[in-house]
Amino acid sequence: MLSTFLSHQRKSFWRSRNRGSSIATQIVLGFFMLYFLVLALGAGFGMAHLLKYFFPNQDVIKSFNGIILYYFAFDFIMRVQFQDLPTLSIVPYLHLRIKKSKIIGFLNVKALFSAFNLWPFFIFLPFCFMKIAPTHGALLTITYIVSIFSLAVFNNYLALYIKRKSITNTWYTFVGFALFAGFAALDYYKIISIMAFSDAVFQAIAAHPYYGFIFPIAAFGIFKLNADFLRKNLYVEELSSKQEKKVSTDYAFLNRFGRVGELAALELKLILRHKRSRSSLILGFFFLFYGFIFYKEKAIDRNAFGQMMFAAIFMTGISIIIYGQFMFAWQSAHFDGILANKINFKDYIKAKFLLFTIGATVITLLASFYGFLSPKLLLLHIAAYLYNIGFGTVIVLYLATLNYKRLDINKAASFNYQGTGATQWLLMFPYALTPILLYLPFGIMNLPYWGLMVVSLFGLIMLLMRGFWVNFITAKFEKQRYKIAEGFRE
Amino acid sequence: MILEVKNLKKVYGDKTVVNIEHVQIEQGETVGLVGNNGAGKTTFFRMLLDLIRPSEGEILSKGENVMQSDNWKNYTASFLDEGFLIDYLTPEEYFIFIGGLHDLSVADVSAYLTQYGEFFNGEILNSGKYIRDFSKGNQVKVGIAAALMQKPEILILDEPFANLDPTTQIRLKNLLKAQSGSMTTFISSHDLNHVTDVCNRIILVEKGIVIKDFKTDENTLKELESYFSA
Repeated sequence: MLSTFLSHQRKSFWRSRNRGSSIATQIVLGFFMLYFLVLALGAGFGMAHLLKYFFPNQDVIKSFNGIILYYFAFDFIMRVQFQDLPTLSIVPYLHLRIKKSKIIGFLNVKALFSAFNLWPFFIFLPFCFMKIAPTHGALLTITYIVSIFSLAVFNNYLALYIKRKSITNTWYTFVGFALFAGFAALDYYKIISIMAFSDAVFQAIAAHPYYGFIFPIAAFGIFKLNADFLRKNLYVEELSSKQEKKVSTDYAFLNRFGRVGELAALELKLILRHKRSRSSLILGFFFLFYGFIFYKEKAIDRNAFGQMMFAAIFMTGISIIIYGQFMFAWQSAHFDGILANKINFKDYIKAKFLLFTIGATVITLLASFYGFLSPKLLLLHIAAYLYNIGFGTVIVLYLATLNYKRLDINKAASFNYQGTGATQWLLMFPYALTPILLYLPFGIMNLPYWGLMVVSLFGLIMLLMRGFWVNFITAKFEKQRYKIAEGFRE
Repeated sequence: MILEVKNLKKVYGDKTVVNIEHVQIEQGETVGLVGNNGAGKTTFFRMLLDLIRPSEGEILSKGENVMQSDNWKNYTASFLDEGFLIDYLTPEEYFIFIGGLHDLSVADVSAYLTQYGEFFNGEILNSGKYIRDFSKGNQVKVGIAAALMQKPEILILDEPFANLDPTTQIRLKNLLKAQSGSMTTFISSHDLNHVTDVCNRIILVEKGIVIKDFKTDENTLKELESYFSA
């Protein structure tokens, strides 16, 4: 029976409508997966070197022991946010002559098919074989592997259990990360050390390998807990997240924009009331930390704005890029309604510009904390901001008129690539290259501030030309609307 | 004459889905579009609402081609399917949004909605749910009420009786009959009883072609039944 279920699952994966629709998307995704795989393997095989680099005054095995619990704490937070609940797939089987225990077994097995369960093997196993085995021998290596595997399983089912009980909330993820960062800081300043704790745990296991049984027992315990919960609550409406009372809301600050504001408010609700768009939003906030990677002291000292331009464009324009890449498609479920109702297309396009401008402004204000690194970065951000709202919006909306792919916004959020086409991937090229090319000649002539000025000026001129761009996009939209509507009805 | 269809054709591949030579609709008529699945009813309605580009021909609303001008939106209300609902809004938000498009204030909208207490059967307003969480029948009710709220001169409904409970079907019929005369109504239905009851003109289509176009009288139902059982 289990194999039948799994074969159905495989079929639903390969035969789903959006799958295979665009080979280009598949290939790009394949590359991404491969990239992450190689990264994980690289981390796994280079673990000894990495640990030496980060913790130079410590024995590598001690460091290794120290990071295991950290890794799984991080893993757990990520799982709670991103791992999908395998629930809806069982609906067609519930009324058939199939034993409940079989269905539960299927749900439990299916839950193991998650990328999260793959990473630990790539990251930790090489080290186990390369370092632990020569030092401690085969028995302990096996204990390590079993422990790591059990921790992964433990996390897997605990995360699902928490999600099933609907005691999760996106904000908890933030709290989780804050706690995580807090403990890391405490570790750094040697106040409370989780690393030492983690090391002590595995030291104890090294001394008494049978202690290692704790992990499989814990994993089995949580597995049982999960299975029991499922057995008692095998009703789809109880397994999916709980309904809370919905209330009507009114965004007063948008009312001053009249009809355009009403349309923007409509879209704001769309973003806030769907899981997929909400998680895009949260992703946008995470990208605020992108600057810490790109804004190197050296680059700031040399005024190398060209190098940092990409990060600045990306951070201040993230809301435009992320939300804009599926523009119009977010509304595919009611696109017919928008066309048939008394909505002026020009207002409709203006609302998009308004929403983008608000989003970019908010995120640029948030990103101003980089001013503490160097006030120069604020100038860079202003240039990037003007470019984003002036010209980035135009690029995104123009490309949106070429996007006919339906997006089912009610489908679960993370790692859902429905509605992704080649256009989305190509979007980044003109978007990111234009300002860099504008800056480049001045960068070469060593006139960095002139470069920033030119980028800002370009953005400002485009912003002043917004009336023209609105008409331009509206005309294009009117021409394309049948095609877009047809694609969205699909 | 409020609506005129001229040489309308829609072709998908080598299949002609709609092929209507000439149809005129007079102001105040209640027209029923009847035909089996695949007759092209929904495609026709979509062209009427400028959602699909016709392969040939044109549709004139008050003499203006619907593709070239937006004026028809001022006096045309429609509900074809759930794709017309903005399903992540609460019903109140949706009504206020649609009302706002026609310059109705929030107070106007709530005044209008009070008459619909019976029609909604107490399940729609203040329910604390988004439209997407409603049953299909209740979603249809929201769509129809929102369409009627616009006080349209032309009303287009695609199979409005499907998914409704018997009580609501009868209420809807009464609502539609009460409006006849002032409003031009265009509905499609598989329910011959209802459609002959409500409409004063029936257009029978098959594979995109108009087979019959006639005024209803006491024999209409029998005629239609014998046509479809043949």
